[in-house]
Amino acid sequence: MEKLLNPALLLLLLLVALLSLTIGTLDLDVSSALANWFSNLLTGEVLTREALIVGEIRLPRTLLALVVGAAMGMSGAALQGLLRNPLVDPGLIGASQGAALGAALVFYFNIFPGLGTLATPIAGLVGAALTLFILMGLSGSMARPAIIIMAGLAISTLSSALLAVVLNFAPNPYAMQELVFWLLGSVSNRGLDNLAILFPAFVIGSIMLLTQRKLLLGLSLGEQVADSMGLEVTKRGRYIVLGTALLVGSSVAVAGNIGFIGLIVPHLMRPLVRYRPDRLLLPSALAGAVFVLLADILVRQLPPERELKLGVLTALVGAPFFVWLVWKERQRWL
Amino acid sequence: MALMSIDSLAVQQRLFDASLEIHEGEVLGLIGPNGAGKSTLLNAITGLLPRSGRISLDGQSLEQLGSLQRARQIALQPQFIESVWALSVHDIVSMGRLPWGDSDQSIIRQVMEQANITEFAARHVDELSGGERARVWLARVLANQPRVLLVDEPVANLDIHYQQEVMQILVDYARAGHAVVIAIHDLSLAARYCDRLCLMDNGRIVKTDTIGAVLSSEILSPVFNVEVYVDLENQPPVVLAQ
Repeated sequence: MEKLLNPALLLLLLLVALLSLTIGTLDLDVSSALANWFSNLLTGEVLTREALIVGEIRLPRTLLALVVGAAMGMSGAALQGLLRNPLVDPGLIGASQGAALGAALVFYFNIFPGLGTLATPIAGLVGAALTLFILMGLSGSMARPAIIIMAGLAISTLSSALLAVVLNFAPNPYAMQELVFWLLGSVSNRGLDNLAILFPAFVIGSIMLLTQRKLLLGLSLGEQVADSMGLEVTKRGRYIVLGTALLVGSSVAVAGNIGFIGLIVPHLMRPLVRYRPDRLLLPSALAGAVFVLLADILVRQLPPERELKLGVLTALVGAPFFVWLVWKERQRWL
Repeated sequence: MALMSIDSLAVQQRLFDASLEIHEGEVLGLIGPNGAGKSTLLNAITGLLPRSGRISLDGQSLEQLGSLQRARQIALQPQFIESVWALSVHDIVSMGRLPWGDSDQSIIRQVMEQANITEFAARHVDELSGGERARVWLARVLANQPRVLLVDEPVANLDIHYQQEVMQILVDYARAGHAVVIAIHDLSLAARYCDRLCLMDNGRIVKTDTIGAVLSSEILSPVFNVEVYVDLENQPPVVLAQ
């Protein structure tokens, strides 16, 4: 059954993607619209209205939701394995806030103008990496789960405070509103050019994580054992931190804060891979993609006047789940 | 020639000028009071602590080996070990093959039989009792097939039946052309199962010798700060605080 997990999730992902391209205010034939859109790309054939809607609006939104979901799912699985704690989520330990802070600084004050559109994602990445390294430094190498959560809380509080400072000194109310809406997290109204940044970061980050699967497995028995097995925890752990920072930083920079995916998805997938942290990465990426896209499809069904942001929805579902996880963890220690 | 030679090994503030030879086929017991440096010595040999001094294996310096090569030759079973995730027994034992990068099923089957855990290979480790778990951890290091196996307090939390079983597994492993170093508090068990003993105190090696030469009231009493009763003639030997 375990062997069928990834193919089954991939199939589900394709079905949901098709659903996402089909659903909208206008009923249209997706396959012919897509065919027309692609032939426009290749041969310059005149675009139909249907092709424009599918290719320029629904396709970017679908792909962004998939990549952001996959990035959050996989980074959650990797961080939980690295920190040996099932309650870890990029948003709960401050990585998302760090990324948001970095991106917001650029967004607002136009730092690094030379980098052009790359400035925000790079700043997001730097923000996420910095918070993760501070977290590792603060919690120490042999950190117990509670210490990691405490260190994460401290760091996310700090970055939230700094983010509040940035909001406080917003150049004008419109910029502030734009930033707040962006922070809430959404994949709507974003063009395919965003994927040009997100996708390479996703590929590189995923490869960095997938190559460290042995370390994730070895760490199941603690750092001392992993080190004694020659897995070089400190050195290889940095790859995981950097890979996660790439995934989280670029996702947050493009789509804002889509929280709790990194917490929920690995948790749901874990029993299906017999609790193996090394085998958890790919299913978490696939299921994360499915989950975020489904959430976005749901968001699109709500009345359009006052759009519910995607990140708000995932938080609404994710936060109670977190409460339940803490409750379950408590039972375990009673 | 010794399988492993340790020369003037030191770890800042914790281990001073430790020199030791470990021979093929033997079980060497590390004894001494709490804080004597037994775990530090084991961790330093494994390469987990910044150390000075020289360690050679089969005449080759350990510094010349990469981390994975070293891990294939020297394996450590720490005193405290637990699995964060509810992995299956088979998966945990297979982790012993990580330094080799394979999952040699014949070795895994063989060590599971040695450790007598074949019957619960498919069960999750968190469902097992303490004694069963201890044998799973042991099977994991045995699957590593190291030349030198370092074990830190393998029997500390076990009942007398499992204590015997675990010690016997370690003796058998040593006899099969390897060497086993055990840090152990139970001096009677040390007298019964070890070939030689290394007595440590305050981060220094006090004496390394045969059982009879190390386990005497005159040597042990000042180190442990308690009168020690020793009867090595008895079967099994008895070494207890008076």
